Amino acid sequence: MADFLLRLSDATKSFGAVRALNGVSFELRAREVHALLGENGAGKSTLIRILTGAHQPDRGHLEIRGQTIRHLSPATAHQLGIACIYQQPTLFPELTVAENLALRLEPVSVTRRVNWRARREHATALLKRVGAVISPDAEIRSLSMPEQQLVEIAGAIGAGARIVIMDEPTASLTSKEQHLLFEVVRELRASGVGVIYISHRLEDIFQLADRVTVLRDGESVGTNQVDDLTEAELIRMMVGREVSQFYPPGEGQPGNPVLSVRRLGCAVTGVREVTLEVRAGEIVGLAGLVGAGRTELARAIFGLTPADSGEIFLQARRVTMRSPQEAVALGIAYVPEDRRRHGVILEMSVAHNLTMAIHRRLFPRAWLRLKAEERLAENFIQQLAIRTDGPSAPVSSLSGGNQQKVSLGRWLATKPKLLILDEPTQGVDVGAKSEIHRIIRELARKGMAVLMISSDLPEVLGMSDRIAVMRAGTIAAILPG
Amino acid sequence: MKRHFRELSVAAALAVALLALVVFAPGFYQLQPLLSLLARESPTIVVACGVALVIISRQIDISVGSQFAVCSVCAGLLAAMGWPLPAVLMAAVLLGATLGALNGALIAGLRLPSIVVTLAAMVTLREALRWLRQGRFVDLPENLQWLGLGQMTGQFALIGCAVLLLTAMAWAMKNLAVGRFIYAIGSDAEAARLAGLRPQLGTFLTFVFMGALTGLAAMMNVVQSPQVDPKSGTGLELKVIAAVVVGGVAITGGRGNLWGVFAGLLLLGCISPALTHLRVDAYWEKAIQGVIILLAVVADGLRSRKTNR
Amino acid sequence: MPKANNWKTRIGGHETVLLAVLIAEWFYFNSVGPRFGSLDNSHDILRHSVEIGLLALALTPIILTGGIDLSLGSLLGLCAIVFGKLWRDAFLPIPIAAGCTLGVGALAGALNALLITKLRLPPLIVTLGTYSLFRGLAEAITRGLDTFTNFPAWFLFLGQEHWWGLPAQALIFLGVAAAFWVLVHRTTCGRSFRAIGFSPEGARYAGLPVERRVALVYMLAGLTAALAAIIYTARVGQAKADAGTGYELFAITAVVLGGTSIFGGVGSVHGTLLGVAAIAVLSNGLVHARQPREVAGMLTGLLLILALSGSALPRLLAGWPRKPTRTPSANST
Repeated sequence: MADFLLRLSDATKSFGAVRALNGVSFELRAREVHALLGENGAGKSTLIRILTGAHQPDRGHLEIRGQTIRHLSPATAHQLGIACIYQQPTLFPELTVAENLALRLEPVSVTRRVNWRARREHATALLKRVGAVISPDAEIRSLSMPEQQLVEIAGAIGAGARIVIMDEPTASLTSKEQHLLFEVVRELRASGVGVIYISHRLEDIFQLADRVTVLRDGESVGTNQVDDLTEAELIRMMVGREVSQFYPPGEGQPGNPVLSVRRLGCAVTGVREVTLEVRAGEIVGLAGLVGAGRTELARAIFGLTPADSGEIFLQARRVTMRSPQEAVALGIAYVPEDRRRHGVILEMSVAHNLTMAIHRRLFPRAWLRLKAEERLAENFIQQLAIRTDGPSAPVSSLSGGNQQKVSLGRWLATKPKLLILDEPTQGVDVGAKSEIHRIIRELARKGMAVLMISSDLPEVLGMSDRIAVMRAGTIAAILPG
Repeated sequence: MKRHFRELSVAAALAVALLALVVFAPGFYQLQPLLSLLARESPTIVVACGVALVIISRQIDISVGSQFAVCSVCAGLLAAMGWPLPAVLMAAVLLGATLGALNGALIAGLRLPSIVVTLAAMVTLREALRWLRQGRFVDLPENLQWLGLGQMTGQFALIGCAVLLLTAMAWAMKNLAVGRFIYAIGSDAEAARLAGLRPQLGTFLTFVFMGALTGLAAMMNVVQSPQVDPKSGTGLELKVIAAVVVGGVAITGGRGNLWGVFAGLLLLGCISPALTHLRVDAYWEKAIQGVIILLAVVADGLRSRKTNR
Repeated sequence: MPKANNWKTRIGGHETVLLAVLIAEWFYFNSVGPRFGSLDNSHDILRHSVEIGLLALALTPIILTGGIDLSLGSLLGLCAIVFGKLWRDAFLPIPIAAGCTLGVGALAGALNALLITKLRLPPLIVTLGTYSLFRGLAEAITRGLDTFTNFPAWFLFLGQEHWWGLPAQALIFLGVAAAFWVLVHRTTCGRSFRAIGFSPEGARYAGLPVERRVALVYMLAGLTAALAAIIYTARVGQAKADAGTGYELFAITAVVLGGTSIFGGVGSVHGTLLGVAAIAVLSNGLVHARQPREVAGMLTGLLLILALSGSALPRLLAGWPRKPTRTPSANST
């Protein structure tokens, strides 16, 4: 029990009406990889942000290396040897790799002279330790995402961090890069560092972690030795219920193909040779790792990053999708993954958000009809059971699940032939989640073609009639649901 | 080499322009007029250094022209009251720093957008000056002009001062930690915060420093003539921002260096004399300046599109 | 309009405050300067605020989309020169010259729009470039000294006489204001402007034609600046290269004073009108109160800072705001 690096007890944190963490306790020993597991929205990122000083908990007690910490700021976290490698690296895009590392490693002193040669040598050495082939003089913005991640790790190693937090580090790595990363993590552990490892991917955890803590809906379900658990038990802890029974069953035969893409490719985003069909009344699940090209495929079909090779057929008619407007006009709807940035406009009202994609139909000749808009919005609020003060409340005042329903409602209003859903229940509480599942199933039953991207394995298995698995930008397999 | 592509291309454009002048207008290269030109532009160089810092930290200041005028007039008044030169200089620099601090407090403290704050400061300061001076010039005592050194020496002194400052600042921006912090703040304020820096404080101090430099520049301007024009510095902000942008400092922060700004300033500065010597209408100057700014941003836009992919 | 909406009620509040300030200004100056309240003087205020008012109207949708345009004052100067040149040296009849001038204005706006939407350059720096370019072209065309005068009396009517008891240009202004109000508050375009101002990416994902809408606001601004140039020429009776110098600053001040957020998304055309009125009454009233003109400019600047600080305080007290997490595709500001 001696060497706890970090001990957080009874931490609570709320954002507005949403309680992101509720009485969570967590501890980390030296020389261990402690995995933090949970569905999206379970509170993992909030916990990390508390440990790095980015957020202050409303309540809770934090002890780092035996020292009680009352107010953890990013600067003190840094001093205490906590380093965090985010999913999306926080680096300075305009500056070079060497400088990025130096800004993190060198003491903050204003008048000190910069030794460029030492910076470069130090950077080269650190990059070598993580096995990265990156020039120390390269600007960060010219690097790929995994390369940036390696720079972050190099920075953490260089800082002599005692506590390293890794947030979904393998999300966008190839299997070779992953392998390398695991080596680096094991080496860190051997040198006495405690690693907090956040991941969706069970295989990562079984390969790497010593202990695992599972979060669900902002609460800790428990901490166990990884060796004591089976995969099924772990899933049950995460999801909190038996998987299969909660998904509304599909029924009947699917109709004619609504969407059919052939050898679709998009060089900029790395989508290549995708051939896929979605029929009326069918839910096709699109599974695969983050970074496998699922969102990129959806973006190509929706015209956000137009495809540059291959063909798209919509109800057997060949179409090209050069912009979202064209896609919308042809009856395609896309509920994006990043709800807060893309799915809704937070500052605008529920009604305005709901009607945003049907301006042309609802407002002929561009003239706003506010009464009609309000009626339609109230209709959707009722139909989708959106909990809100009314159609004119700003979407930012809604909880995550209800925001997601607004995002979904916006596209249902277009009465699409094809509905593309990207992580439809990410960051959504359990209640709203099953409601969304019921709505999706209902839509399919009425003849809509649904393409559903999800990293939530039980969701994919439970909802899909067929499952397409993507890897490295293309479809690797198509399985029955 | 590749990293300084932008600065080098401006320098190349400048070299081409200067060479073209050798061929087509050799009259441009005469010591006295050239010296006068450089001396007249030396305050601009100092102001440009300050504004470059502000833009590198991802802010903007369009009130420098007004600050410049206020400092010039105050320096003139103090000198006329018989203050000794060093005291006047100190006062001008302090006044500039105070004005910069006001802007900085509103921008960093209240987190107001710098463009609007400095727009307001620009109007307020300029109008206040017009109100107080009613267009009257300030007559300066004899011994102030050219620092009491005589015209030629004075000009050399001013140019030397500007170049020295430029060199020192360019060196500091590259080689002192404080310079790199400004780049870091401009590149990504949130990342800077996570790295233990204090971006708001940095922004505030950058504005203070810029104000102080403007005060110094105003002083360098005052000593060049027997009177102080209360309208001096009109349009200075645009000239300087244009030079900074042409010199390769990204308006989105975090990128560029002072040597590029220097080259940009010289490039824009040689338009007007070049036009005169080429017997082209001088009234084309502003239009050409506009085209050069647009070309520079278009080039930057195309380049960043390529590297971002 | 529905109620219980955060930003809408706040804006409502802002406009009420501004209206109160305006009324207070009116009563104060009325008590200080005996001639201030006269009909003649009211006409004077109207006449002198039309051009800046037009630019402010044009700027409102631009700032709503989160953009800015510094080039409008210069464009006014360029258009005045083009108009004069076409009439005097190309011997075009005035209506045709005016039509061509409006075309030039729209084209100039299109240049801004092209650079901003197609090349994704920041509007601030693009319009700073065209600010210099347009003024420079005006100076180059006139070689800095040429002015155009002796316009026919019927044309000067537009800027100096009355129509239905109001200055002629005020009627045009009211028409344009009504058009902008309808565009911003009653059409889907206006709705898109706000959406783009709040979140350009979000608007794109909603299938809104973001580039076309942004291009529209800059082109409309060019067109409006050209109209302002013609009215300016008619009011002053002369077209010269420095027409409209500094107008962009007063226009931006009026818009921001009127409650439009410089960050985009929030704002209204009637707010802008109140902002223009507040500035116009202030500068006219101070003259009647025997204060020098410059005090008005000074107070305008201070008022702008005050209005901004006021709008920033609640945000600051609410613990605002961390920069949103960056993503790989995040673009420039």
